[in-house]
Amino acid sequence: MKLSQFFATLIMVGLPLLLCAQSPINGFMQGKGKGNVVVSYFSESYDEVFLVPQKIQGVPVFDEVTLNSVSLFATYGLSDRLDVILNLPYITAKGAASEALLNDLGFDGERSGLQDLSVYLKYNPLDYKVGAGTLRFIGALGLVTPLSNYPVNEGLQSILAIGNRATSLNTFLLAQYQMDMGLFASAQAGYSLRNNDVPNAILSEIKVGYAGKSFYADAWMGSQRSTSGVDILGLGFQGFFPETKVNYTRAGINLFVPVAKGFGISAGANTYLNGRNVGDATGFYGGIVLSY
Amino acid sequence: MKTRNRFLYAFYALFAITLFTGCQEDYNDIEPTIAGIAVANGSFNLLEAAAIRGGVAVVLSNENPNDPNGSYTVFAPTDEAFAKLGLNRAEDLAVLQVPFLTSTLLYHVSNGDLLSSSIRAGLSSPSLLGPNRRFIERGNDLYINGSKILATNVNAANGTVHVIDKVMLATGVDIVQSAIALSNANVFIVPELSFLVEAVLYAELAGALTQSPGSPSFTVFAPTDQAFRELGQLLGVPLEQPADIRKLPKETVTAVLLNHVIADGGRFTPELGSGPTDPLGGVSLNLGAFVDGALTIRGNGNMMPANIVIPDVQTTNGVVHVIDRVLLP
Repeated sequence: MKLSQFFATLIMVGLPLLLCAQSPINGFMQGKGKGNVVVSYFSESYDEVFLVPQKIQGVPVFDEVTLNSVSLFATYGLSDRLDVILNLPYITAKGAASEALLNDLGFDGERSGLQDLSVYLKYNPLDYKVGAGTLRFIGALGLVTPLSNYPVNEGLQSILAIGNRATSLNTFLLAQYQMDMGLFASAQAGYSLRNNDVPNAILSEIKVGYAGKSFYADAWMGSQRSTSGVDILGLGFQGFFPETKVNYTRAGINLFVPVAKGFGISAGANTYLNGRNVGDATGFYGGIVLSY
Repeated sequence: MKTRNRFLYAFYALFAITLFTGCQEDYNDIEPTIAGIAVANGSFNLLEAAAIRGGVAVVLSNENPNDPNGSYTVFAPTDEAFAKLGLNRAEDLAVLQVPFLTSTLLYHVSNGDLLSSSIRAGLSSPSLLGPNRRFIERGNDLYINGSKILATNVNAANGTVHVIDKVMLATGVDIVQSAIALSNANVFIVPELSFLVEAVLYAELAGALTQSPGSPSFTVFAPTDQAFRELGQLLGVPLEQPADIRKLPKETVTAVLLNHVIADGGRFTPELGSGPTDPLGGVSLNLGAFVDGALTIRGNGNMMPANIVIPDVQTTNGVVHVIDRVLLP
């Protein structure tokens, strides 16, 4: 691949608006017997909601919603070409409604619990040496399923639901070109098949970054497009939030710095660029990465 | 090399897919529902909260099953309209019983699209609650009951919204039963008009104010419980609980009550003219100027005029205006 081709790729990446809550799949493989464990803390909040046709100020009832989560993320190389990935978040969703209003409506101001366990198998069948870099293809298959019986059908109380309690089967196809000097760009697209009346969705993400010995950094944009569903307070809305059409484009950055052998710290931020039936949240995370 | 190029094209194709799916959609051509308009518009925060508390938010998100076009028409009170009743924040709605709040909301709703071109003074429109609302002209303004229509024909995916400056209230029962509903805390969570109900029973006026076939309709100024307590202080007769009304001479109570009833068919505030008006008691009341939808009422024996604290309550045999002072003949 010539440099001009690489930059053509970069321009494509940088073009319009893109993609989604961060995909669990990236373009790097662990290698047989290697892996890492990440414990991270993520916090985001929103006081505006992307409804259609317009964004609204103030979350109904709760005014502002803050989501905090602690996640355990682990990945392990079963072979040089096959990784297994696990993710498990504990989420707390808190609203800003007054006690008086909560009491009057019989609502809770906070909901928390173990959310959904994700298990992915990530397979890298092909690597091609192209120019001064490597073009890599990856396919991934994952199952995401709720671990606790958190409620989702409580009318507007469910604005604070910690998830949609669907089990989903997710597939991703990813391509990444990484230059020998460390710069890389990747693109992925996926499909998420979901039960419990939650609309299926097309997922995608593109990412550019640098993976070197002294640090790692990337910037990404990702999107979800539900293939069906109703709008909140739109025609057909029955107060059941899981069946809403949830579209969004999110962008963020990730940083990782190794501190000592087998130990590093990571941090990142992300925000919504646009959306439909989703809070306009901006969030930040920090994590501890243990590699082995 | 060809294989490599093929894969590079595949890589580009993947980018193209992600770019395509990531493109921002334009939602501007999606029409909001009535509930969506209430939530999106910053002037309808209390209406939004009321719709949530009263359980009609989902109803007004959907098509009307009782209309061929699936439409509702909603006369939507602004936040200022709620503020006129002392309802400034979502929390304040807790003073109202939920069934009454739901009924009140349904009184603002009708089946079908009632466009401004079909609205004229003298016409009336049935509500989803049941009772009709009537259109009134005063000056250059058009009113529905006592509420001024501020904006018309806001188009929604499931109907039409008109904006009004006062919350409309209807009890669905006659004057006596309306007052009893208030005194039994079926409207507010605390009893109101309890002294008035006791006074009406004591003065044996319940029959006259009860609806029966062919019975007349009235405009009634209904003093609050606090107004009666203050009257007690004025008279030096402690009125601490409703039964204390019976400490006063029956003829006096009767005369005072008749001073609050006008046999004019029942008028909303925009139909009330300033100046003297004759109640059943025979001694003229003096109505103040009509300003911002409200006016004052002074009895012949009052130093200070009474203010209307809850205007334009529609009953089946007249219109009740709740006032903060007893009108003395």
